[in-house]
Amino acid sequence: MNERTQTSGLGFVGQSVTRVEDDRLLRGKGQYVADIEPEGVLHAAFLRSPFAHATIRSIDVTAARRSPRVTAVFTAAELNELTNPFPPFLMMPGLYTPLYMCLSDKKVRHVGDPVALVLADSRYHAEDALELIEVDYEQLAPVASIADALSVNAEQVWERADGNVLLDKSDAYGDVESVFASADRIVTERFSCQRQSNQPMETRGSVIEVDPETGHLTIHNATQSSHMLRWLTAALAKKESVRSSLKNFATNKDRRDSFIVAAKEFMAQNGESMQNQDNAGPKSQLRKDRSMLRHLPRTLFGLLGKDDYPTVMARDIGGGFGAKGPVAREDIALAAAAIDLGRSVKWIEDRVENLSDGGHAREEDLTVSLALDNDGTFRGLKVDLVLDQGAYPAFPIGASMATQIMRVMFPGAYKFDAFHLRARTVATNKGKYVAYRGPWANETWARERIIDVAAKALGYTPTDLRLKNMFSDQDMPAAMITGPALDETMSTKKTLEHAMQVVDIDEFRDEQETARAEGRYLGLGFACYHEAAPGPPDYFDSISPGAGTLGTEYARTTIERDGSIVVYTSQMPHGQSHETTYAQIVADELGVGIADVKLVYGNTDRTPFSVMGTGGSRGGPLGGGSVKYSSREVRQQVIDAAAELLEASADDIDIMDGNIHVSGVPARGVSFADVAATVISEGDQPFDATFGYTGKGDGGWSCATHACIVEVDLETGRVDIPRYVVVEDCGPIINPAIVNGQVRGGVAQGVGAVLYESSVYDTEANLQATTYMDYLIPTAMEIPYVEVHHLETLSPGENDFRGVGEGGMIGAPPAITNAIEDALGPFGARVTDQYLPPTKILEMAGIIDPD
Amino acid sequence: MTVSFTLNVNGAATEVSTEPRRTLSDVIREDLGLTGTHLGCEHGVCGACTVLLDGAPVRSCLTLAVQADGHEITTVEGLANGDELHPVQQAMHEAHGFQCAFCSPGFMLSTVALLAENPNPSRHEIREELSGNLCRCTGYHTILDGVEVAIRALASDGASGGGDA
Ligand code: FES
Ligand code: FES
Repeated sequence: MNERTQTSGLGFVGQSVTRVEDDRLLRGKGQYVADIEPEGVLHAAFLRSPFAHATIRSIDVTAARRSPRVTAVFTAAELNELTNPFPPFLMMPGLYTPLYMCLSDKKVRHVGDPVALVLADSRYHAEDALELIEVDYEQLAPVASIADALSVNAEQVWERADGNVLLDKSDAYGDVESVFASADRIVTERFSCQRQSNQPMETRGSVIEVDPETGHLTIHNATQSSHMLRWLTAALAKKESVRSSLKNFATNKDRRDSFIVAAKEFMAQNGESMQNQDNAGPKSQLRKDRSMLRHLPRTLFGLLGKDDYPTVMARDIGGGFGAKGPVAREDIALAAAAIDLGRSVKWIEDRVENLSDGGHAREEDLTVSLALDNDGTFRGLKVDLVLDQGAYPAFPIGASMATQIMRVMFPGAYKFDAFHLRARTVATNKGKYVAYRGPWANETWARERIIDVAAKALGYTPTDLRLKNMFSDQDMPAAMITGPALDETMSTKKTLEHAMQVVDIDEFRDEQETARAEGRYLGLGFACYHEAAPGPPDYFDSISPGAGTLGTEYARTTIERDGSIVVYTSQMPHGQSHETTYAQIVADELGVGIADVKLVYGNTDRTPFSVMGTGGSRGGPLGGGSVKYSSREVRQQVIDAAAELLEASADDIDIMDGNIHVSGVPARGVSFADVAATVISEGDQPFDATFGYTGKGDGGWSCATHACIVEVDLETGRVDIPRYVVVEDCGPIINPAIVNGQVRGGVAQGVGAVLYESSVYDTEANLQATTYMDYLIPTAMEIPYVEVHHLETLSPGENDFRGVGEGGMIGAPPAITNAIEDALGPFGARVTDQYLPPTKILEMAGIIDPD
Repeated sequence: MTVSFTLNVNGAATEVSTEPRRTLSDVIREDLGLTGTHLGCEHGVCGACTVLLDGAPVRSCLTLAVQADGHEITTVEGLANGDELHPVQQAMHEAHGFQCAFCSPGFMLSTVALLAENPNPSRHEIREELSGNLCRCTGYHTILDGVEVAIRALASDGASGGGDA
């Protein structure tokens, strides 16, 4: 379809409408954070540790300060005087979250750990001055791997942890022991996934403008979560004593009133899920470290006592994939410096910094035991998971949260009598672990791998073994053994059956045999999953009691005086095309064209609050739902006013192409502006509705099967992917082209994960992949054509959309690794690593020696 | 120390005076205010910073601004003709080419240069030619589609390629 001339009446939802975002972006007129350059802004550069683990004996910044182009140099100790530590968030039983400051003053914990901040008139000069700073380090033994971290002799990254273990939590469902004792077979394998990195093409960055009159901060930032950044900056970047905060709170009536209003609103919306929180989390934290009792009051009262919170503005963002969700230590350091100097500051991360600490993910070891009977029936599953979170926990959602999503999702689409998972998070001297597209994805990888291993052991085909154990429509309603309810939206089995029609397995087996005779090695792999997108109402609480507060999305729809339609969302788009899909939804609700709808996002002064912003495949179902229902309310307001104007019953009013009229007489219609003019109101918005949405109820599962065919070249170890098929079911689709783009982009990252990408550290915890020469992002040559097939299973009720952002990356690593193991079948290869570069392939085929 | 010279960008000449070590990308973005040229890696791999130097693609992050003295530079801002998008931009729009679009200036300028040299490349040739540009969002398929849409549009326009944009 073409552009902005689309007329309504057809229904935009369901069509591959071209993107509203494109015009400015394709002209080079987007506004990414690096494009913002306030008058007189100071440019920042961080001095970073060259060592993985060391104490800081002394730091000398005199020469740097003397440099004529340098305005200020802050050592860590100086900035830490001005700021509060990052507090624990979403505490959980068995977890200790170390508190940490924006810069490191006594000890560095990974290569790249920031120790000082220079501000100069240009980035060139700021970087020049870094070379003038002298730091005297005393090196400590590095903790470079999961094995190091678990060794009793290791140096501790965090003094108060149990060795280097931050989380140790076990959960059992069903009678695990008796199920394992009575099962015919137990298949066990240890899987290991390398450290990967999200690597959006735009790095992180922040430009903080200081209003010279009022001191008010406006933070332009490449963030997936603008409100969280605003609150945390307010809480951490300017330390205040409890006494002065309280005094301010008591004496400033406006401040107090607005706090009370906000608190009431928050409790009304989230009170119930807050009550689900138990004390076990905070107790675990306090057992290890009581310092939060000292810091938290100052942080919280500091918030209450502030007259002025920063405004966060985010406009165009060059991708995130989870890496821009956390509030960065640098964000807080920059804000503190800007406040202290009263000057605007700008920091654009470079790629070397980004590869080191812009976000790593997925480094996990998983030992999986599958208990099953000889007839192929799955009985139980036992998992021992260890996750390497690096040194500093990401805020607000740390690595340990990923282990708990893995716990809930591990059983997948299969029926089990018992399940046990022990989850450990360890600290090492590496960059921080962040959520990366489908942060729990290794549960699918390990599960789908062990199923293939078991199929081989029992003489089943991988597809037969899966089909035999999957939930099917006849089982519904049902529940995963870990809790969440299942309904007809759990259609994974249907996606597998469909994939088996798309890919003719028998034909492939013939081809495989012929090829082998010619010395060519083909393999076929399947992977099946479902993801909560958004999932049923009990989903978040099954991960961590009280986490339901993360679930709500808000939107506000207004009609302005001039009749224009403005929609405000708490979502924070960064490539997902919200401006297009939301305009489709709103245009259908209001009977207008796509071009009539303007979406406002990213500006915390104007958009509704959300803890999370964009992440977790919630933009379509939840963000879209909130947009839909706020627009529907506004439609009713408009119709009620129009009914008076047109002297008709509201039931008879229709809106078509922006023409509001009595059904059947469009010639006598009025416009939105006409109706707005009749409404006596003070503000600019005669019509205005806000809607908070948590989902339509049960279900909310998005499902898929990936099928991958590989050809492995035993000369070079290279893996080609001649065919890649995704059969996905995210329910009704808002915009098929955009859904296909999300699926293909996710698969591309999965291809990278298996064949090319590794944030590898050496035994001294030095990162070996600090440029794109070593961290290999796949190009157009490496990414195969991905066939996408859609099933659209409907479930009762409206707003049946389900998210689709994560799935591509969840399904690809297991489908590809399963295919590679199949290809290398003649060599008896067993794939236990996710990362399979050419050398590994040749090792598995016995062509080269592992050493 | 500063050097002064003339930079010809998108048909307009600007006198610049800058430290000689500054890159073309920094001068284009900061001194000329043309922020459509993006910096993804600043070490010559991602291709986001690609501009055309006398019609040939170069990495502006690896080029010093002084090296562009006496040459014609085209940036993404120079592609559209007023309101009318360049055929490559229009094609990318129709094909849903990009998502976050951070990589888009590099891809579009590489495409313009490719089609100027070879108005009818095969899918494989397009993949090969664009393999110097990284995109993290799309998996490339829609970008390659976009190039093919542009090829058809340019052919039916009777244009021989979009070389000098
Ligand atoms: S920024 Fe120039 S190639 Fe990446
Ligand atoms: S569209 Fe985001 S990097 Fe290409």
